[in-house]
Amino acid sequence: MCMTMMSMFGCMLMAWLARRTRCLRREQEGEGGFNTGPVDKDDRSPKKKKGGTKDMDDLKKEVPITEHKMSLEEVCRKFQTDVVQGLTNAKAAEFLLRDGPNALTPPPTTPEWVKFCRQLFGGFSILLWTGAILCFLAYAIQAATEDEPAGDNLYLGIVLTAVVVITGCFSYFQEAKSSKIMESFKNMVPQQALVIREGEKVQINAEEVVAGDLIEVKGGDRIPADIRVTSAHGCKVDNSSLTGESEPQSRSPDCTHDNPLETRNIAFFSTNCVEGTARGIVICTGDRTVMGRIATLTSGLETGKTPIAVEIEHFIHIITGVAVFLGVTFFILAIILGYTWLEAVIFLIGIIVANVPEGLLATVTVCLTLTAKRMAKKNCLVKNLEAVETLGSTSTICSDKTGTLTQNRMTVAHMWFDNQIHEADTTEDQSGAAFDKSSVTWLSLSRVAALCNRAQFKAGQDSVAILKRDVAGDASESALLKCIELSCGSVRMMRDKNKKVAEIPFNSTNKYQLSIHETEDPNDNRYLLVMKGAPERILDRCSTIMLQGKEQPMDEEMKEAFQNAYMELGGLGERVLGFCHLLLPEDQYPKGFAFDTDDVNFQTDNLCFVGLMSMIDPPRAAVPDAVGKCRSAGIKVIMVTGDHPITAKAIAKGVGIISEGNETVEDIAARLNIPVSQVNPRDAKACVIHGSDLKDLSQDQMDDILRNHTEIVFARTSPQQKLIIVEGCQRLGAIVAVTGDGVNDSPALKKADIGVAMGISGSDVSKQAADMILLDDNFASIVTGVEEGRLIFDNLKKSIAYTLTSNIPEITPFLFFIIVNIPLPLGTITILCIDLGTDMVPAISLAYETAESDIMKRQPRNPSRDKLVNERLISIAYGQIGMIQALGGFFAYFVILAENGFLPSQLVGIRLNWDDRNLNDLEDSYGQQWTYEQRKIVEFTCHTAFFVSIVVVQWADLIICKTRRNSVFQQGMRNKILIFGLFEETALAAFLSYCPGMDVALRMYPLKPTWWFCAFPYSFLIFVYDEARKLILRRNPGGWVEKETYY
Amino acid sequence: MSSSPQVQTQKPNQDQTQEPNQDQTQGPNQDQNQDNAKEEVKAEEKEEKKEEKREKKEDKKEANEAKREQKKEKQDSWKDFIYNPRTGEFLGRTAGSWGLVIRPHAVEITFNRSDPENYKHYIRQLHDLLQSYNDSIQERNELCMVGEYTTQDNEPVKKVCQFKRSTLRQCSGLPDPSFGFKEGKPCIIIKMNRVIGLKPEGDPYINCTAKRATSLQMQYFPSEGRLDKMFFPYYGKKSHPDYVQPLVAVKLLFTKEDYNIEQTVECKVEGSNLRNDDERDKFLGRVTFRVKVSE
Repeated sequence: MCMTMMSMFGCMLMAWLARRTRCLRREQEGEGGFNTGPVDKDDRSPKKKKGGTKDMDDLKKEVPITEHKMSLEEVCRKFQTDVVQGLTNAKAAEFLLRDGPNALTPPPTTPEWVKFCRQLFGGFSILLWTGAILCFLAYAIQAATEDEPAGDNLYLGIVLTAVVVITGCFSYFQEAKSSKIMESFKNMVPQQALVIREGEKVQINAEEVVAGDLIEVKGGDRIPADIRVTSAHGCKVDNSSLTGESEPQSRSPDCTHDNPLETRNIAFFSTNCVEGTARGIVICTGDRTVMGRIATLTSGLETGKTPIAVEIEHFIHIITGVAVFLGVTFFILAIILGYTWLEAVIFLIGIIVANVPEGLLATVTVCLTLTAKRMAKKNCLVKNLEAVETLGSTSTICSDKTGTLTQNRMTVAHMWFDNQIHEADTTEDQSGAAFDKSSVTWLSLSRVAALCNRAQFKAGQDSVAILKRDVAGDASESALLKCIELSCGSVRMMRDKNKKVAEIPFNSTNKYQLSIHETEDPNDNRYLLVMKGAPERILDRCSTIMLQGKEQPMDEEMKEAFQNAYMELGGLGERVLGFCHLLLPEDQYPKGFAFDTDDVNFQTDNLCFVGLMSMIDPPRAAVPDAVGKCRSAGIKVIMVTGDHPITAKAIAKGVGIISEGNETVEDIAARLNIPVSQVNPRDAKACVIHGSDLKDLSQDQMDDILRNHTEIVFARTSPQQKLIIVEGCQRLGAIVAVTGDGVNDSPALKKADIGVAMGISGSDVSKQAADMILLDDNFASIVTGVEEGRLIFDNLKKSIAYTLTSNIPEITPFLFFIIVNIPLPLGTITILCIDLGTDMVPAISLAYETAESDIMKRQPRNPSRDKLVNERLISIAYGQIGMIQALGGFFAYFVILAENGFLPSQLVGIRLNWDDRNLNDLEDSYGQQWTYEQRKIVEFTCHTAFFVSIVVVQWADLIICKTRRNSVFQQGMRNKILIFGLFEETALAAFLSYCPGMDVALRMYPLKPTWWFCAFPYSFLIFVYDEARKLILRRNPGGWVEKETYY
Repeated sequence: MSSSPQVQTQKPNQDQTQEPNQDQTQGPNQDQNQDNAKEEVKAEEKEEKKEEKREKKEDKKEANEAKREQKKEKQDSWKDFIYNPRTGEFLGRTAGSWGLVIRPHAVEITFNRSDPENYKHYIRQLHDLLQSYNDSIQERNELCMVGEYTTQDNEPVKKVCQFKRSTLRQCSGLPDPSFGFKEGKPCIIIKMNRVIGLKPEGDPYINCTAKRATSLQMQYFPSEGRLDKMFFPYYGKKSHPDYVQPLVAVKLLFTKEDYNIEQTVECKVEGSNLRNDDERDKFLGRVTFRVKVSE
């Protein structure tokens, strides 16, 4: 019956605890909310809660915009607006009232006191609260029934309350500190928008923009809402934060694609207009915009607990289970043995206090904080403390391409001239190989590239490395500019020498750009025409080709060579541009000839082809190595990008995500010259999946792909698809890390077990959704994160093993007190002194322990098997080391009592008399008689000695906990914090024992120096025992000792 | 002096054959029938400690009487705080600490003087206590020098000083087997806790006061409540098996007006170095009890 009752109680408590932790965790996730401060999904509006899942499914679908397919008139009709006049002020006001301001809804914040309360009642707190309440209850009963109630229970109640409140405050402030990191990322500048209402242009706050408003944007503006473009002049927008595509997209009034994200006539909220101007009608505002939908999707996502939270919860369950089991068992036992209710309750309190490692959660928090700080130094800023460990458990990394794996900077990678492909140096520090620059063709090519180029360096950057300089102009032109500047010197000087006289900018119909310049030679009055553009278009306009500086007629052979080169460079995922030039004949175009660029009055064909240059956003230097390290650490790296498959595949190959020699289905098909459908998908380890294919995949097919391919690249993925990919990986049991920088990545970042955002290029939204921010945008920093995460997991094990061990010498005194009726060997106050005093610094110092072996060479831990606290750890801590410790403590206890005249044989059963206040002549083994208070002083001295003995045996425990497999002689004693911890705990113990006033304050008494040595043999025994265990463990890998004791 | 530690060391082993304490019925369970290794280890430990302690103490006590008072004071000041390796003395169990208890053992002694059944259990306690003080037993013990310590550190067998029950006279239970309960003037017997090696200085005596406006008449046996030095020191129950500690009986001379009113009486050891004012320990050198007599 007792067992049923107990287990019932236990179950209830555990269920309750589980719920609590869940709430707590959710609360913490909330910190990563959208835009303004923390979110709490629990606190969302009732509407949201009710239709939550439906809403989320809806948000996961693709964007429902249809306006791009409508005619302008239809759009105007729909929004009751005018293409010229815009909305009337009255209508605008009406719409504003109807739709609300054009801003993303900041999710409601949880009041601070609620957060605080959650800290106050989480973890072990509830057990301690139970203890404290029982204390007060016991005191109340005593106060009601006794004349002079002993204050012990009252004091203990107060102490327990203080402990809970202080640890609660501590965790609260730790959390608050890490959530504050976000505040710096808040965008404080209010956005302005230029709208046309009633025919007049007015500058208004972007929040007041309503659907139907006619707005005007120009280069440099942030687009204030989703707009349907009505007219545009050379307008280009940067959609990278939304789609991940780094190339600016031109905007025009024409519908070019069914997909609203691809069509030219829609510009999106919070993207940037790079150049040109455009007018458009607002079609969506605020949360209804594409960006708003992603934001809502992100903040609405339910994410699971972090792996470490799961582990800590599991551990709390174990400890709570043991505490409740022992507590209830001994409560019932005490009642059966004939103790009073009050006494039984006091025993219960003691057992709870002894069982709960009060300081452990604070220790874990401190350990995580220390690691977080260490990681911050290595450019990994952790927002959520628990995320510190997550990278260590990660088994799959879904990485965005642009900006994470690549430099997010178009760079010239290859050139084709003189019928030969030359490789340019794409490394960040220009450490790569240089090509032959002596060819005359190269001089011409570089001249064309430099002149037919509108990009220029922004002023005042002379001291900055060329590659790092800011450039005004589009990505490809910037790449060319930097390339020429690097290899041929100042482009500006070249342009000064060759004055531009006319120019036709790039447009999508011509697909070329040309300009006409004076020549360098002042005696040469000819004009130089330079042109660049899509290679096939350029080729069409050329009749000759320059080879080794000599013009040669363009024959079929050369054309084929050109095609091959073009295909090859295109196949590398590079953007290829063709370059040609012509020295215009002086007779036709004399000096001062008026070139008309609108109605072209000069020769634009029969030009001389000079060469090709191809550009790519090259991988970061450290990435291939980092990917390799992830591989050897058993982590699968998947690329998920919004970019095109060819580019994605090329980069994937470049960084090793698709390793050398691995082929995709298409590669195999191409190699064997058979249709793709005949290739067995299992033969291909690698695969590249297009977003449009992904859309049609069933869940099973998706799982199949994720399971059977080790090297996967997802291209052209939408934000929703990124999310689906993450969910797919999680469904297969993987712990997923997602890296990304764009808004499009944020749902995936949020859903991932750990979202990693980029600190430099990352959008605010992505930073907010992420758990970790790479301050240097470098994928390689993730490797640091993995390493630190794995190390802290190992060290937390050690820390917990250390802390739990002292539980046994804390619990056993109570058990013996109850069962064999000896005077209490260790009091609750002294237990608290151990848990919250002497054990703290040493436990924390284990976080500084270095790894025992190469942690980057092993597989990620299996969350279902490799627990933070497992039965082996408990068996070592409780069953083996803890027992020896208890022996040491009891030895000191018996020595002191014997020295005072109470021999062990007399102690058994003495408790009733011993604790009888009215018995003031209790006789010891030598015939001496003791008053109650005199006995109590001896008893409290025993508590002190027991306490000191625990400190002494914990010395050895700390040293053996340094390692789990190696000998301490292999590991060394280089951990200075640990050595400090040893001295600190000893000094603290001495202070507690010898400081005047402690007898009144804590009832701790001074000890004879010799009593300190009682536990020394046991300390030595612990050391020898564990060294022997670890020796056997090392000698017999996989043997019984390892199976049973390696935690 | 040197023999003292030896005596101490034999104790644990002798314990096994020792009869339970005769003079105290309240004594704890003294079954000492285990003999495990641990106990022996502890005994050895104890031997060393005691030896050190004894030596130091003797040095101090006998070598320099004049300095003693001064030292004692000093000792008091640090006593509760820091262990002093010079004397090896430990905490409360120094020479100045001495518990007092009363018989009958009760915080509140309430009885009806006209109903013998009502106070029978009190009287039985007193008789039990005094059993070992019976003259027939005590006559086997030796007469000692009044006012002087019976120091016998070197003797292998310690002699016991005589304390005859009859010296308590009216409170001996011999002339009046009801110890005055019948007449409403009850006898309360105060006894000192036995402490090995304790030698009270000065001339200790018991002084009782009633906590009320008017003074309460009391009669002390032996006269003036004196505790003679000859009963000290005590050498422990192994070497001093028949030792009885001196007793002081107080006869509370209640009058009819005192009946049915609870009387609080406090008795203290005075006239010596023994502490009687410890804040926490209400039984150190003092004892308080309440008596209520009804007719």
